[in-house]
Formats: sequence, C-alpha cells, structure tokens
Amino acid sequence: MYGSASTHDIPTQAATGLENEDPILLAEFEARIARGEKIEPTDWMPQLYRKQLTRMIEQHAHSEIIGSLPEGTWITRAPGFRRKMAQMAKVQDEVGHAQLLYSAAETLGKTREQMLSDLVNGKSKYSNVFNYPTPTWADSNVISWLIDAGAIVNQMANAKGSYGPYCRALDRICAEEAFHLKYGHDAVVHMATGTPIQRKMMQEALNRWWPAIMTFFGPSDKMSVHTEILMRWKVKMATNDACRQQFLDMYVPKIWEIGLTLPDPNLRKNEDGVWEFSEPDWEDFKRVINGDGPCNAERIAVRRAAEENGAWVRRAMQQPQARYVRPLA
Amino acid sequence: MLFSFDPRISRLELPESAPPPPDKAALDQFPTYEVFHQRKENTAYVYVGPVHAPEADVAFLFGKEQFSRRFPCTGMWVVPTEAIRVTEYGDDQQSVYDRLPLLPADALTTADAAGLEAYDIFHLKKRGKAHTHVGQVQAASPEAALQAAKAAFGDQRPVVNVWVIRSADLLRSDDDDRDMWTTTPDKKYREAIAYKVQDRIDRFKQER
Repeated sequence: MYGSASTHDIPTQAATGLENEDPILLAEFEARIARGEKIEPTDWMPQLYRKQLTRMIEQHAHSEIIGSLPEGTWITRAPGFRRKMAQMAKVQDEVGHAQLLYSAAETLGKTREQMLSDLVNGKSKYSNVFNYPTPTWADSNVISWLIDAGAIVNQMANAKGSYGPYCRALDRICAEEAFHLKYGHDAVVHMATGTPIQRKMMQEALNRWWPAIMTFFGPSDKMSVHTEILMRWKVKMATNDACRQQFLDMYVPKIWEIGLTLPDPNLRKNEDGVWEFSEPDWEDFKRVINGDGPCNAERIAVRRAAEENGAWVRRAMQQPQARYVRPLA
Repeated sequence: MLFSFDPRISRLELPESAPPPPDKAALDQFPTYEVFHQRKENTAYVYVGPVHAPEADVAFLFGKEQFSRRFPCTGMWVVPTEAIRVTEYGDDQQSVYDRLPLLPADALTTADAAGLEAYDIFHLKKRGKAHTHVGQVQAASPEAALQAAKAAFGDQRPVVNVWVIRSADLLRSDDDDRDMWTTTPDKKYREAIAYKVQDRIDRFKQER
C-alpha cells in the first residue's frame, strides 16, 4: 500500500463550483453522507466530488504501480530465498492493489486507458517518495516498513470515506497490508540488530529516506473552504498534519527502540503530546514532484517500456466486437 | 541512455527522454467483467470486483489471480459487465422492490414455459457492501425476471440495489475443478503471523 491521502495538486484556492450545482440534489447528497450512507457510482454527485475522488484514487493506483518498481528490482537481490519469495509476494500484492484502484476510479467515469496514458505523459502524479532511488537492500526495507506504514495510516482513514467502490477496494487492500508492515519491520529489525556493517547500512538508508518520509503526507493543509467541504463529504478523512502526527506517534518509538536515530535534531514530542520537527524542504518537494527528481525519468521510462513491450499481446487479444461499459461497483 | 543505480535498468538501454506517446486507443485495456466468489462451501456467491479482459475465459483467470490469490475461495463466477441488468439504487433500510413499476400483466403471462430462461438475482443490502446472490428465477426477459424476483425474494429487507443476470451469461467454475482453489500451505511467508520480531528486539535491548 502506497497511497497518500494528500493529492498532490489539490486546488486549494480554486472556486468550488458548488454554485452551479442543483441545490436540491446537493442537499440530498450531503444528507446521505451525513447519515453515514455510502455513495454508489450511479448516484448524483457534485462535480467537485467526482473530480477530487477520481484524482485521489487514480493517484493512489499510480503510486501502487510505480511504488512496486523500486521494490521489484530487489527481488532477485534480496538476501535469501525466503526473502525473495516474500518480496515477490509483496510486489504482486501492490500491483493487484493498482488493479482494484483503477477499477474503483473508473466507476467515476475516467477510463483506464486514459489513466494509464496520463501516468506516462505526466498529467497525473504518484506518491513523490518514489522519485528517490533505492541504492541498497536497506533502502528497500525502509520502503517496505515505513512508507507502507505511512500509507496504512492514510488508508485506514480513507476506508471510512463516503465512496462505495473505493471503500470496497480499500477493505481488500488493508487486509493484505498487515503482512507488508510486519515483513518490513522484520527486515529492518534484522538489519538494525545485526552486524555493525548491517546496522550502518540500515542507519544510512533511514537517513536518506527520512526527509522524503516527512513529506509523505503532504504540506500542512490550509484550512480553505475546499478542505472543509472535502472533509464534510468524507473524501478527505483527516488533515495531512493529523496523519503525520499519528505516523510519528506510532513509528518513531519503534525506530528508536532498535537503536536507530533520525536525522532531525528538532524531532521530539512536546509536553502537549505533539511532535515537533524541522519543517521539510517543500521547495525541493515541489521541484521533485514537477519532474526534477533523481528517479522521475527512470520510473516513467520503465513504466512506458513495460506498456510498449506488452502492446502486441493486448493487440492480439482484442475482440473486434468488444464494447466499452463502465464497471458497475 | 538512461543511467540507473540498478544495473538491470541501465541494461534496458532506455532513452533518457522521449516525447510522450499518443493516448491509448479505446479498449486497449479490454472491456470489463464482474467477478463473484464463494468464500466457503455452501455459502452464497458474493461480488468481489471487476476485471478487464478480452473474453470470459481470460476474465476467469484474471479473477482467480486478482481476488483469490490472497483470500480463500471455493468457487467463482464471472459475467460481462454489460450483461448485468441494474435497478436504481435506494437508500439504506429501504427496498428498491417497493419502487418497481408494474409491468403490464401480459408481459409476464404471454411467455409459455418454453420461452422461459433462468436468471440469477443478486441483492445489495447496504451501500458500500457487496452484492450477494439470493437465488434464481425463471422469466422471459430481464424485466420479467425482476418482477419474479420481487415475488420470490421481495420479503427480504433492506434491498438497496438488485442485479439481474441471465444465468447462461455467467461463466461458473466447475465442481470437478475444486482442487484449483486449494492453496499450498507452504506460503506462510506472506502472512503477517509468520513475522515475529519481539524476541529479537528484546534480546537486542538487553545486550545494549
């Protein structure tokens, strides 16, 4: 699981467009959500709801596909047969999650063809952490444990959201995540409690990844009208800051207990129980997400090559009489 | 050429940059099929999700891979999405059968027994949950099948939504192939329970 609830291009200042919606339908829609009922694909929904959910679920799906690339290349180099098998199972899970999520997004009206095109042509984003390299096995372990842990914080919240198909997909996804988290933790503990060289390797990987992990949940939400509406509609279930705090609360103690340190001198929990930390470099974050990171070109090129290499198989299997129908649920 | 930390990516000799490819053509990803699973012997089939596939047999393979790789299952059905007749969605706690317009009586009675076909009926009990198989009816059309379903299963409540599928359109797993659902017991490494690190952490803390 790699999704992050912070969609990278949330238009915080843009008009909500709600003034163009039918007030009676809008009231019924909001009443349904307030009653705790889920929205299903054929229900009326405001344009903003459809647009934001499509963007969020699509981005989550792309993150699963792209996120499996750095871990996937470690399958053959994973130390030992058992770890190779486990790493392979995890990568298979992640790609399966992408399939579930693309279908959930598709029920909102954007075709899978268009989503896959937009991933390769750069119109859609994926979780920015995957624009960084995994030079060692320990880096792969950091992804398995801490990036998955961050994603779980988000996904557990989103599974209580208002859109039926996304909830159904997340229920299945969350069930598989328990394994990823334990597997990643096991791998990190193994290195951190191992030989001095293993330990050093783990610490260096953690130092490399920590700044990216701190940006994983996105910048602080400006509490705009937009954010308020999306939270009322249960599209966004928690603010970026709340997710980050929950993550730090759950995982910093686990990192410290195995004798690893974190490369932020300001990281501490204050008397009010709130985590303080150095503000991540959001300028750098913006630069990387807009294409100028160490691995952006590689991730897209590999994805594109996979698409192109498989094109002849898809062409060969095409049925001339096939007709497109949106998946139902 | 694209240089990567990962030698096997460098070896692909991918171009460092290239103009974006044209958008994918319609149906490059194939039409969709909806998949149902039976999770345990003698329980109802439940909707698990869609797959994209060029034909029913391939949809069956994809459905097996996508939905039963990690979850136990004793049977599977797949059906083309376009073969499903969907009612409107009601509110939780209601029954959509209550809103069903009555067909003219002759629409139900004209068909003689020879013109009847079997239809499978699925109910959604609560929004956000999954459609579940409730049974089969005999009817001459999907609309008539819905009326027959109301007569047969209309007392069940709530019913938020109904799917009607001509039974002949469902591709079903064969009872004789049951062993294909058996999962090998030596895949413990993909279960959370296989990872127990607390002892190692405790030992580490003691030694420090």
